[in-house]
Amino acid sequence: MIQRSPLVLGKKTYETVSNDIAGIVERFPDKRFFAGLAGAQGLLLIFLLAQGAIVWFGMGLMGVNHPVGWGTDIITFVFWIGIGHAGTLISAVLFLFRQKWRMSIARSAEAMTVFAVMTAGLFPVLHTGRPWLAYWLLPYPNQRGPLWVNFRSPLVWDVFAVSTYATVSAVFWYIGMVPDLATIRDRAQNKWRKRIYGVLSLGWRGTARNWNHYEMVYMLLAGLSTPLVLSVHSIVSFDFAVAVLPGWHTTIFPPYFVAGAIFSGFAMVVTLMSIIRELLPVFKDYVTLDHMENMNKIIMATGLLVGYAYASEFFIAWYSGVAYEVFIFKNRAFGPYGWSYWIMVTCNVLIPQLFWFRYFRRNIPWMFVISIFVNIGMWFERFVITITSLHRDFLPSSWGMWVPTIYDFGALFGSFGLFFTLFLLYIRVLPSISMSEVKPVLFVGRNDGHGDKGHSEGKHGHH
Amino acid sequence: MDIIEKLIQKARPTSRNGVAGLWMDEHQMVEAAAKIRAAGFTQIEAISPFPLHGIDEAIGIPRSFIPWVTFTFGLAGFAFGTWFTWWASAVDWPLIVGGKPMWSLPAFVPIMFELTILFAALSSVGALIFVCGLPQVDPPVIDPALTSHKFALWVPEGSAGFNGPKLEQMFKELGAGEVKKAEF
Amino acid sequence: MDQNSSNNSPGQPWLSLEQWRQDPEFLKLTEKEFRSSPLQSEDGQSGHARRDFLKLMGASLALTSFGCVRRPAQTIIPYAKKPPEIQHGHPNFYASSFVDGMEAFGILVTTRDGRPIKIEGNPDHPANMGTMSARAHADILRLYDPDRFTGAKRNLQNKNRTNRETINAKWDDLDKNVVEQLNKGKVAVLTYNHASPTTQVLMEEFAGAFGGKIYQYDDVSYASLMEAQKASYGSAAIPRYRIEKAKVIVAINNDFLGTWVAPVTHQRQFASGRKKSTEGINKLVVFESLMTLTGTNADKRYRIRPSQSLDVVMALLHELIVVRKQSRYSADDGVIRALSGFSKNREDLSLNLGELADELWKNRGQSLILAGGLTADGDFGVALQVAANFLNSVLENDGKTIESGKAVVRGGPIGELIDALNKKQITTLIIHGSNPVYSLPPGAKFREALANVEMLITTSDRNDETARLADFVATDHHALENWGDLQSLDGTLSIQQPTIQPLHDTRAFQDSMLAWLKGANKGSAKAKAAATWYDYLTASWKPLATGKGSFEDNWNQILQDGVLKTSAASGGGRSIAGNTLANVKPTAKRAGFELAIYQKVGIGDGRMANVPWLQELPDPVTKVCWDNYACISPKDSVQLKVKEGQHVTLTVGDQKVEVPVHIQPGQADGVVGLAIGYGRQGGGKVVDGIGANAMMLAQWSDGRAITAGLETKVQPLVKVTQLAITQGHHVMEGRQIVVEETVADHVKNPGGQVHRHKMKTMWSEHKYNGNKWGMVIDLNTCTGCSSCVVACQSENNIPVVGKKHVIDGREMQWLRVDRYYIGTPEDPDVVHQPLPCMHCDNAPCETVCPVIATVHSDEGTNDMIYNRCVGTRYCANNCPYKVRRFNWFSYTDIQAPRQMALNPEVTVRSRGVMEKCTFCIHRIRTVKANHKVNDTKLVDGDVKTACQQSCPTGAITFGDLNDKTSVVATNFESPKSYALLEELNTKPAVRYQVKVRNTDHLKWAPKHAGGHGGGHGDGHKEDKKAPGHSEGGGH
Repeated sequence: MIQRSPLVLGKKTYETVSNDIAGIVERFPDKRFFAGLAGAQGLLLIFLLAQGAIVWFGMGLMGVNHPVGWGTDIITFVFWIGIGHAGTLISAVLFLFRQKWRMSIARSAEAMTVFAVMTAGLFPVLHTGRPWLAYWLLPYPNQRGPLWVNFRSPLVWDVFAVSTYATVSAVFWYIGMVPDLATIRDRAQNKWRKRIYGVLSLGWRGTARNWNHYEMVYMLLAGLSTPLVLSVHSIVSFDFAVAVLPGWHTTIFPPYFVAGAIFSGFAMVVTLMSIIRELLPVFKDYVTLDHMENMNKIIMATGLLVGYAYASEFFIAWYSGVAYEVFIFKNRAFGPYGWSYWIMVTCNVLIPQLFWFRYFRRNIPWMFVISIFVNIGMWFERFVITITSLHRDFLPSSWGMWVPTIYDFGALFGSFGLFFTLFLLYIRVLPSISMSEVKPVLFVGRNDGHGDKGHSEGKHGHH
Repeated sequence: MDIIEKLIQKARPTSRNGVAGLWMDEHQMVEAAAKIRAAGFTQIEAISPFPLHGIDEAIGIPRSFIPWVTFTFGLAGFAFGTWFTWWASAVDWPLIVGGKPMWSLPAFVPIMFELTILFAALSSVGALIFVCGLPQVDPPVIDPALTSHKFALWVPEGSAGFNGPKLEQMFKELGAGEVKKAEF
Repeated sequence: MDQNSSNNSPGQPWLSLEQWRQDPEFLKLTEKEFRSSPLQSEDGQSGHARRDFLKLMGASLALTSFGCVRRPAQTIIPYAKKPPEIQHGHPNFYASSFVDGMEAFGILVTTRDGRPIKIEGNPDHPANMGTMSARAHADILRLYDPDRFTGAKRNLQNKNRTNRETINAKWDDLDKNVVEQLNKGKVAVLTYNHASPTTQVLMEEFAGAFGGKIYQYDDVSYASLMEAQKASYGSAAIPRYRIEKAKVIVAINNDFLGTWVAPVTHQRQFASGRKKSTEGINKLVVFESLMTLTGTNADKRYRIRPSQSLDVVMALLHELIVVRKQSRYSADDGVIRALSGFSKNREDLSLNLGELADELWKNRGQSLILAGGLTADGDFGVALQVAANFLNSVLENDGKTIESGKAVVRGGPIGELIDALNKKQITTLIIHGSNPVYSLPPGAKFREALANVEMLITTSDRNDETARLADFVATDHHALENWGDLQSLDGTLSIQQPTIQPLHDTRAFQDSMLAWLKGANKGSAKAKAAATWYDYLTASWKPLATGKGSFEDNWNQILQDGVLKTSAASGGGRSIAGNTLANVKPTAKRAGFELAIYQKVGIGDGRMANVPWLQELPDPVTKVCWDNYACISPKDSVQLKVKEGQHVTLTVGDQKVEVPVHIQPGQADGVVGLAIGYGRQGGGKVVDGIGANAMMLAQWSDGRAITAGLETKVQPLVKVTQLAITQGHHVMEGRQIVVEETVADHVKNPGGQVHRHKMKTMWSEHKYNGNKWGMVIDLNTCTGCSSCVVACQSENNIPVVGKKHVIDGREMQWLRVDRYYIGTPEDPDVVHQPLPCMHCDNAPCETVCPVIATVHSDEGTNDMIYNRCVGTRYCANNCPYKVRRFNWFSYTDIQAPRQMALNPEVTVRSRGVMEKCTFCIHRIRTVKANHKVNDTKLVDGDVKTACQQSCPTGAITFGDLNDKTSVVATNFESPKSYALLEELNTKPAVRYQVKVRNTDHLKWAPKHAGGHGGGHGDGHKEDKKAPGHSEGGGH
C-alpha cells in the first residue's frame, strides 16, 4: 500500500479531536474574532441602509434604466448562487466519490453554501419594483379566482430551484451536524449550553441502529444533491439563455454556468479556509496544505473550463453568422464595457494558470490573493453577461449605457457583510469541522503505530 | 404551554436498566459485540461517536429501508409537478402566453425535476427522524464520552437470553475498560 | 358664485380680510406680508383644490348648456339636478378652436364631468381635418398650468419699471384705474394674431372709442413674407399653398412641415402628394442651413448658408430665364439685369441646379417654391420672398399651387409702435397675447420705450417678462375657458367655445374691453347692449348664422359642428406686379459663422414652453429634450474642437449667450443654429432657467427682427453639460430596420427591397376569432412630427420625468419616434420610425413574466396588468423593440391642478410596475361596449388609437385584421409592409410600410442583418463616423 500523507496532522486522538473542535465553541473567542465580526456587521449595516432606501424610494436609486433593466442586484444574485455551489459539491459529489480529504472542509463548505444561498436569495426579491409583492411568484392557492404563476418563466423556475436548493442543502448541513451537536451537548458543563445543544442535537444517541439509518440518509441526500446542484445553476443560466437577447440566447450557458459556479465556489472556500486557518490555528491540523492544494487544482481545472466557454462563445457567434451575435461579442470585448471583459478574462483564465506551479498551489498568501482575484473575475463574468448584452441589443435607437450609483455599491459590498456575519457566527457557535466524519479517517496516512488502524473501513487491526 | 409540556413528555424516551461495557478502541468493541451476540444475547445496543463499520453485521442490523421512502416520495413529487403545471396552466387558468401552447411541457420540466428532488430529500430526512425516534428530550446517557471518544455495548435486563454476571464477565474479558449497570 | 368671490375661498383668511377693507394701501401691506410668507403659494394651491370641486360641478352644467341646447348658464348649480347630457364616466365632446401663431384649426375637447382632459382634432374643420400638432395637444396643460395668474394683478413700481412688486388687484379697482387712464386718450393696443374676426371688430371699436391705434406683434413674425406679398401681388396676405397639387416642391430654408405658418395643413397636403407612390409621387428638394423636420423628409437636400438663400432662388431663375431662355421674362431686360447682378453669388454658391431647373420647368404649374422663415429672415428676408414669388410666377404656379389668401393684418407693425412710444405719442399701452419684452431683439429698445407710457396693461396669463413691467395685468382666460371665433388661413370660420368654468378669477380680454367701454360710457350700440362678450359674439354672428330655422338653431348647429362649413373661401389666382426683381440686391458675403435662429417643433415660439410634455418631447431631429443648444456641423465641431454638450459662447455684435453644443449631422458648415423659446424669466416653474434666449442675438433693422445670416463668433468653453438625448445611437448598423426604396424600384416591385424570412414554428399557433387588432405605420408618409407622441402622452396619463431622469434613460413615453441617419455625417439621409408596442403574437415579454402580468388577450393585444406586476423588468429586457417603460419612482405626484388633465379611463401607474403602449385598449373597449348596448356591428374605422387620430399625414392605420375588407388588413398584407425584426418570429401586430425616396439612388442600401448571414460591417464603420454618438448622454 502506497504511503499517503496524513489527512490530519498532529498525532490526534479521538479525544483531542473533540477537544479541538468542540473547544472552539466552548472557549470565549479572542479579539480578532470580534474585530472581524464588527467589520462584517459594519458592511451588513451598509447593506440594510442601501436596500432600505431602495425599497422606500424605488429601484430608480440604482443604475438600472432602459435598456439595461438588470444591474447589480441580478449580477450579485448569480455571483452568490455560484459561490453556493462548492459546498454541496464538496459534501455531496466528493462524498459519493469517497474522497476522504473532503471530511474536514465539508462542514464549512456547506455552511458557506447555506449562507451564500441565503444572501443570494435576497437579491431577486429586492431587485423587483415592488418587493413587498414578491411572494406572488409562489403558486399558492388564493381567492383571486384562478390565478397562478407563469410556469414558462425562468424566474419561476428560479423560485423552485433556489428554494429547493436552499432547503435541501440546509437540511443536509444540519443532519450532518446532529452527532457533533450531541458531542458538544455531552461535553457541556454549563446548564444552558447543555440545554440548547440538547435541543439542537434532537437528543441524538449514536446507537448502531441510528447510525445505520443515518448513513443511508446521508448518502441519499448526497445522491439527491448532486443532480440538484447541477440543476440549480443550469436553471439560473436559463434566466439568460431562454431570453431572445443576443449574448444571452446561448445553449452553452448551463454547463458554462455550472463550471463557473464550481470555480468561484472553490475559490471562496480557499478564501475562507485561509482566513479561518489564521483565525483558529487549530484548523491548520485539519485543513492541511494538501487540502488547499487539492482545491487549487480544481480551481485551475474549472478555470480552464470557463476559459474554454468564453472562447467557444466567440466561435459560435462568428460561426452562426448572425450579425446581432457577431456584434454583441465584438462589443463585449472592444465596446464601451470592454474593460470589464478583460478584467474577467485576466482574473478567471490567466491568473489561475499560476496554479500549474506547486509553489503557488501550496503557498497560503498566494492562493488567498489568487482566490480573491477569481471571485472578482467571476463577479465580472456575470457583469459582462448582464450589462453588455442588454446595453446594445437589436434596435440601435434604444442602445444605452449603465452607470452604477452609490446604492449599487452599497448592495454589492453590503452583501458580503451579511455573508461574513453569518459565517463568523457559525464558526463561533457550531462545530465547524465534522468530528463524526473526521474521526473515522483520523489515522489515514499515519504511521505512528495506529497506521493500519486508520483504515477503519472494513479490515480490523488487532493486537 | 401545557401542549409544549405534553410534547416534551412525549419526547422523553422511556429508559430501561441494563449492563453496559465501555471501550476505548472501536475495533475491540466491534469484535466484542460479535462474540456477545454469538453467546446468545439477542438485544444488543452499540453506542459510538461515529458510524462503525462491521457493527451492523456484528449485532445483526438489517439494511435501512429508507431508500424505498425516498423513491416513493420522489415519484410522488414528479407526479405532482407534472399534474400541477398542467392543471394550473392548461385547465384552471388557460392563457395565451407568448403564443405558446397552454400545456408547454418542455417549459415545465424544471418544475417537475425540482419537486422530485424536494419531495425525495425531505421525505428521507423525515423517515430518519421517525425511525430514530427523534427528537428525544434528555435521553439517558451511559457515559458522556460516548459521543466523543468512547464506545459502548449495552444489553437491557430481561431481554431474551440475558444473564447479568455472564455479560459483565464477557465484557471484561473482551477488553472493556469499564463495566457498569446503566439505564439506557 | 360671483367673479371675485373666489378670493374668499377658505384657506385665505387674510385676503378676505383685506377684501373686507377696500383700502388699497392696506391691501398693499397685506400683500407684502404675503409675499414674504412661504405659506402663500400653498394657500394658493389648496385654494385651487378646494375650488376645483365646486367648479367641476358647476362647470359641467354650464358647459353642457354652452355646448348644446340651452342658453349659457352663468351661475353654478350643484349636481342635485344632473343635466341629461352629463353621464358620470362618459365623456362629452365639445367643438372649439385653437390658434397657434398663424395656424388656426378646429378642435374637439374631451371633457369628463365638466373637466377637459384632452384636445383632439375636429374632423369637420378643413384646416386640420381632425388631426393635431404636438403643441395643440399640449394646450390642455396650459389650461391647468399651476403658474397661471389666479386673478387680476397689479405691479407697484417706480417710473423706470425696475422694481417688481406684484400684488392682487380687484377687477373693479383695475377697471376704475384703467378707465380713468383710457379717458386721457393716446391709447394703443398691441395684439398678437388672435385670428378672431369678432375680436378684431371689438378691438377696433375699442381703439376707436379711445382714439387709439392697434398694432400687431407676434413672437414669431411673418412680416417679411407679408411685406413681399404686398410688393409682389399688392395684398399683404399669407397665400394659400396647395402643396398637394405640387409635383416638385422646393423649400429654401423653409420648414413648412415643422414650424412654418401652418405645419399641420402642410403635412397633410404634402403626404397626399406622397401617397401616390406608384405614379407621380411628389419630390421635395430642400436647400437649408440647419437640419429641419422638412430637411429630414427631403428627397434631395442641399446645404447652404442662410445668406445664400436668395442666391439659390436667383440661380434657379437664371437657369430658367437666361440659360434656358424659358418663360415670358426671357426677353425682359430688367429681369435679366437683375439676375446678372448675382453672377458672383452664383459662383460662390457653385451648385449645379440645371437638372432641378429642367424638372421645375417640366412641372411648371405643378411645382412650388417655398422660401424663408426664421432661418432665412436676414436683411435679405424680404428680397428672398420677392424673388421666390417671382420664381413661382415664372413657373406659372400662381392660382395653381398657390392661391390668394386672406390678409391677416391685425394692426400696424411693431416698428411704428416703438417709434410712437419714443415720440411719446402713447400714454396708455395695452398688450394682448404677445410677449414682446421677451421676444423682441435688444436692438428694438422696446423695454426702454416703455418708460414713456403712463400705464401699461397686459393680458398675460402669467408673470412673464412683459407682465412684470405692466402696471395692471387684466389676466385673460385660457382659450378653453373663453368664447370666441377663429378664422383660419383658408378663411374657414370656427367657433371657440369654453369647455369649463374659468378655473381662476380671470376675465376674457374681450370682456375687459367691453367693461372699459362701459366704464367710459363709450362704444357702439352693440357693445352697450352686450352684457358679456358672449352676447357681443352672438350678436355679431347673427348675420352669419343664417339658414332655415331660428338663429338659436343655426347657432347651436354651428356650435355643435364647431365650424361654419360654408365659410371656406375658394382661393383664386393672382398675377404678379411685373418685374419685382428690380430692387432685389445681392446679399453681402458673410465671414465666419452665420447665425440661424430657428423654431423647435415642440417648443415653437415658447408660448407653451411651460408645458412639461413639450419640454420632454424629444426634438424630432436632434432627439434632445429639456435643453436649448447651439447646433453646429460635424466638420465645424472638429475644427472648433468641441464635443457634444460642451459650452460655447455665441457673440453677435455686443450680444453674448452661452449654450451647450449639439453636433448636428447634415447641417451646413459655417452655420450655428439656436432655437427660440428658451431663456425665459417668468415663463413658469418648468421652463424658467432652461437654455438661453436666442433673440438676444437677433438684430433689429427697420422694424423687423433679423434672425439669420448674422456673423457670429463661436467661443468654446471648458464647461460640459450632458444633453438629455432619448436616442442612444443614430445609425442602423446595417440592420433591416427602416427599409428605403427608390421610386424606380418601388414602382417595379413595391417592397422588393425587404429581405423576407421563411419562419417555421414548433407548435400550432393560437387562433384569434372575433377581432384581431393590428396597426400599420407608413414610413413613407410619416414626417416625424411627433404629434403622436404627445397625443399618446395626453391620452394615457404618461408621466414626465425631467431632464436628469431622461439622461439616466428613464423617459416614459410609450410611443417613441426613432430617427436614423443614413450615409455620411456630413450629408446624411434621415428616416423616422414611430415605435409603439408591437403586440407580438409570440411576445417574448409574456413568456418570461413570472406572474403573468403581461399576457395576450383573445383579441391579439398584448395586455399589461399593472396591479399584478411585481416589477422584475424581465419583460423589458426580453423585448427586442425595447418599448416597455418602468416606473422607477412614483411619478404619480402631479402638481395641482395638472392632475385635472388625467384620463380616468387609463390607470395611473404606481411605482415599481412596468407599462407600455396598450393599443388604446380602453378605446377599443368603449367602442365595443357601445356597439353591444346599441346592438350594432363594429365597422372599420370605429376604433382609432390616439396616435392614429392625431397623425396629420394619416401614416398610422389601425383596426381589425380579421376584417379582411378593413384598410389596416389590406395594408398589413400589402407587399409594401414588413415586420420589424421579422427573423425573431415574434409575429408583430404592427407592420411598417417601406419608405420611398424620390431619387435615383439611395445614400446607403441597408444590408440585411437577420437570422442567417449578412454582415453589418458597413454599419459599424458608419457607427465610427457617426457623430452625436451620445449614449453616455442619452442613456
